[in-house]
Amino acid sequence: MNTIEVVHIAKTFGKTVAVRDVSFEAVGGEIFGMLGPNGAGKTTTIRIILDIFKPDRGSVSILGGAMNEQKKELIGYMPEERGLYQDITLEKCLLYLGSLKGMSRSEAMIRLEPLLERFDLEEHKKKKVKELSKGMQQKAQIINTIIHQPEVIIIDEPFTSLDPINTKLVKEVMRELRDKGMTIIMSTHQMHQVEELCDRILLINEGKDVLYGDLAGIRKSHAGNAVLVRTSGELPILPGVEATQTSNGNVKFILEEGMSPQDLLGLLSSQQVAVEKFEIAVPSLDEIFIRVVGEGSKV
Amino acid sequence: MKKIIHIAAHEYMRNVLKGSFILALLSIPLMIALGVGLALIITNLENDSSPVGYVDLSGLFSNPIELSKQDWKVEIISYETETAAREDLKSGKLQAFYVISQDYDTSNEIHLYYQEEPGQNATRQFNDFIQLNLVAQRYPELADRVLAGDNVVLRSVDGKRELPDNGPPLNIILPLIISFAIVMLILMSSGYMMHAVVEEKENRTMEVLITSVSSSQLIAGKVIGILVIALTQLLSWTVFGILLILIAGKGLGIEWFQEAKIDWYALLAIGLLTIPTFITASALMVAIGSTVTETQEAQWVVSIFMLLFWLPLWVIGMIGDTPHAPLPMILSFLPFTALMTISIRNMFVVVPYWQIVLSAIAQFLFALTAIWLAGKAFRLGVLGYGQKISLKAVFRKPIEVRE
Repeated sequence: MNTIEVVHIAKTFGKTVAVRDVSFEAVGGEIFGMLGPNGAGKTTTIRIILDIFKPDRGSVSILGGAMNEQKKELIGYMPEERGLYQDITLEKCLLYLGSLKGMSRSEAMIRLEPLLERFDLEEHKKKKVKELSKGMQQKAQIINTIIHQPEVIIIDEPFTSLDPINTKLVKEVMRELRDKGMTIIMSTHQMHQVEELCDRILLINEGKDVLYGDLAGIRKSHAGNAVLVRTSGELPILPGVEATQTSNGNVKFILEEGMSPQDLLGLLSSQQVAVEKFEIAVPSLDEIFIRVVGEGSKV
Repeated sequence: MKKIIHIAAHEYMRNVLKGSFILALLSIPLMIALGVGLALIITNLENDSSPVGYVDLSGLFSNPIELSKQDWKVEIISYETETAAREDLKSGKLQAFYVISQDYDTSNEIHLYYQEEPGQNATRQFNDFIQLNLVAQRYPELADRVLAGDNVVLRSVDGKRELPDNGPPLNIILPLIISFAIVMLILMSSGYMMHAVVEEKENRTMEVLITSVSSSQLIAGKVIGILVIALTQLLSWTVFGILLILIAGKGLGIEWFQEAKIDWYALLAIGLLTIPTFITASALMVAIGSTVTETQEAQWVVSIFMLLFWLPLWVIGMIGDTPHAPLPMILSFLPFTALMTISIRNMFVVVPYWQIVLSAIAQFLFALTAIWLAGKAFRLGVLGYGQKISLKAVFRKPIEVRE
């Protein structure tokens, strides 16, 4: 069952079209990546999902229907413009925000302790938030997003200000939450994090969904007619090859139309070239992003 | 409801534990106590109730009129000789003594002896003593009449209210003092309200909050929290006021404080006007807090409201002279000025009840408008981090944001 269903939403502020036409679905037990350049309409889409804004057109269904006060307690949200109360202690701040998610103080305290320990913030809980580093505050935000054990988590740039150790920790936590069946929507600019974590993605550009679906499938569909080859000897000039690019000992063959990777492998074999590596060249998400956003058209 | 209570409790605790709150809580009582204390010190410095003596060489005052101790606080003692009076002066029994010369009848000559200048009350009383006894010698009936004193009845301009001749008593001034305290409370509370909204924007917590609670719950929680803060202040000031009246009236025996009575009519008027004024001020502060980007930026807007609240005090003389003139009447119906103006007018005249009711209705209408405006500004402004929202934008078009 879909946890979130967004159907052809659109939103305009004055003369500015923030979201033109976006549709997607997210299900339980997946980390869904929402990508797009600055000003693409990601934040507005998220705010429409969370019912902060009403869409001018289209509809949103979350946890089986429209948003209501009860459902708010089942959603964890870490916005792009994040913040904590700076003048109170970390513990008080998280307990207060937790209480607004429907938890009693004692319940919130029970849940907070292991989270503080896991995120290595236990010894800082009595410090005022403003005394914490940016990385610590970022981890505190993540705790605030998950403390009430929501069913849906919408998280914007979760790795900002985190060092590699804490980035790894947050990834572990996100995978655990996914494995427990939670739906996680992650909006980010960090493509390698998306490639590592997300099962499916949505790319928004100029308020429109321009790329949507299974990550592996998307990469495959954008692969084009190219292969990566590493050989132990000199490469001869081969027919049917449009261009070659060498990088880190690998040679990328861009094949002419009508020439298949199997044909190339046959050619190399017939010319007795010792092939160490031979694989279909799949583009990185970065490359796909640049290509699709540059084209400005839906794939 | 539970979430509203959480927000209210959070707002309350965050504010009352601040040093600035404690300072504000104590500042008004301390200012009043300081004022009363200074007045008492100055009065005590000017007055001295210890006896004064006199030596009558003229024989005109050998059989003086007995003065009532209730009206004449300073005892006036007759001495046979200057030596005896001087000894008592040196021993501190007297604050001063007078020697009435032998030819006083023609020369009017009296010599005053003292170690420290006698109190003004003693000097005044001795002068009265001399004048009264001189009159009594020639016109005994007239002296009796003078002793009987006046029964001046001071009336308000409309003739409906009697005032004692020694100035307005505490029960007349009390409503104005209460209004003053309430205006202070409203200004402080609405300041907290504005700060509460601006702070959420500055801290970037607003977006998290409105995905946890509705904007109505959020505003309700904040208003309740700040209302309880205001009640805490009001309670503290009331306790202080009662203590002050008890200490000054019963403990120190200051007559003015012994007259403390409640003028229920004036108090009812204050009560009727306070609630909508509080709502209007708080709602407008929410609107301002939502549309500006920083607390400092909002301060100048708040100062305009402060000027409006205090405007009636600037023209108190004019209101007192002509309480039913057009300006006092207009100020009685305008938001912010109505509370103080009607309280001032009630000091001088009895403001007709229909005017109070009409003003209260007007204030409630202003309050409703302010709530509507605040709702629009809040919904438009809360997510506009770092963006200034124009008044035009607030009025322009309906904003389709969840309630």
